[in-house]
Amino acid sequence: MELVGVLKSWFRVRGRSFEHFSFSVRRLTGVVMALYLLLHLIDISTLVLGKEAYDALLGLFGGRLGLVADSLLWSALVLHGTLGVYSAIVELGYMLEHRRLLLILAWALAVVLIAVGVWVIACALA
Amino acid sequence: MKYRLVVRRVKATGGRRFDVFEVEAEPDESVLDVVERVSLQGDRTLTFEHACHHGVCGACGMVINGVERLACITRIGEVARGGVVVVEPLRGFRVVSDLAVDKSRMFGKYRLVTPTTLEKLDSRLDRVEFEKLYDCTECGICYSACPIANTFKDYLGPSLLAIVSRSAEGRVPAVIDSRAGVWACHAAFECSVRCPVDFKPGESIMRLRRRLLKGEVEVEG
Ligand code: SF4
Ligand code: FES
Repeated sequence: MELVGVLKSWFRVRGRSFEHFSFSVRRLTGVVMALYLLLHLIDISTLVLGKEAYDALLGLFGGRLGLVADSLLWSALVLHGTLGVYSAIVELGYMLEHRRLLLILAWALAVVLIAVGVWVIACALA
Repeated sequence: MKYRLVVRRVKATGGRRFDVFEVEAEPDESVLDVVERVSLQGDRTLTFEHACHHGVCGACGMVINGVERLACITRIGEVARGGVVVVEPLRGFRVVSDLAVDKSRMFGKYRLVTPTTLEKLDSRLDRVEFEKLYDCTECGICYSACPIANTFKDYLGPSLLAIVSRSAEGRVPAVIDSRAGVWACHAAFECSVRCPVDFKPGESIMRLRRRLLKGEVEVEG
């Protein structure tokens, strides 16, 4: 199947339910984290070019850009994690009668963890 | 009231296009009624499926303003946006013509369904016996709504797995316990949300998984 069709189907949120929207977020954050891993491998491989090259790249992510990038990454991690736990529970056949409630709890937990994480990142970079 | 019916046309002879029909209809009329009127008075080549007209046969499933529904039980006034209704064929199936799709992807696997889910109908045509599923209307809406069924063509699909789950008396064919079977599902649950008869295929698949994990169901072959 062609990539556009796959992306359209996974990330079609218009007219879709809360459950499908959460599925899309789970997939999207998974893709984001996979890309980050790739970026991270490139980042640490600059070590072979010497300390200066590594520090220069790290320096790019200091300040505002660092706050935004780290916050986005943390949000992706948290969403993937909390929605993943929800998914693991229902995919094993548990809590099916209360899956909506479980999903709402997963989102609520994600929002709290994201807020705390962004605050900690902001304090660390300040 | 005036509505603008936009139909996604797919013909074997030429690519895809959207045709626009201006129609006069009451908000309480069904989308199927309006499509039928267009086919009778506007364009006789418009192809679509229907039979019972009251949400039982499952033939009239289509995507209406982006959402899978049975056209015969969908009031046009409830789904129109700014007087516009866009109708498209179900997703996840090969389009035969316009709004008619080939559901053999779903029906072709019914040999996996054990007879406990089937009811034999009284009517006979020569010596052919009719069989109908008890609950599922075999509309295919769940396939169209499922992001996995749309992107993984070998996936057995929500309705079929749900039917197997409800009929399995301790044994299922090996394909059910495979990548194309229950393990392909990733809990989007759009199938359960869209199913017009509340058959809840998503939940049934997960229950079958649990029974497989617990060893309560034997895998054949
Ligand atoms: S499970 Fe529901 S949506 Fe799927 S084919 Fe049966 S009736 Fe249609
Ligand atoms: S015509 Fe039978 S379900 Fe719509």
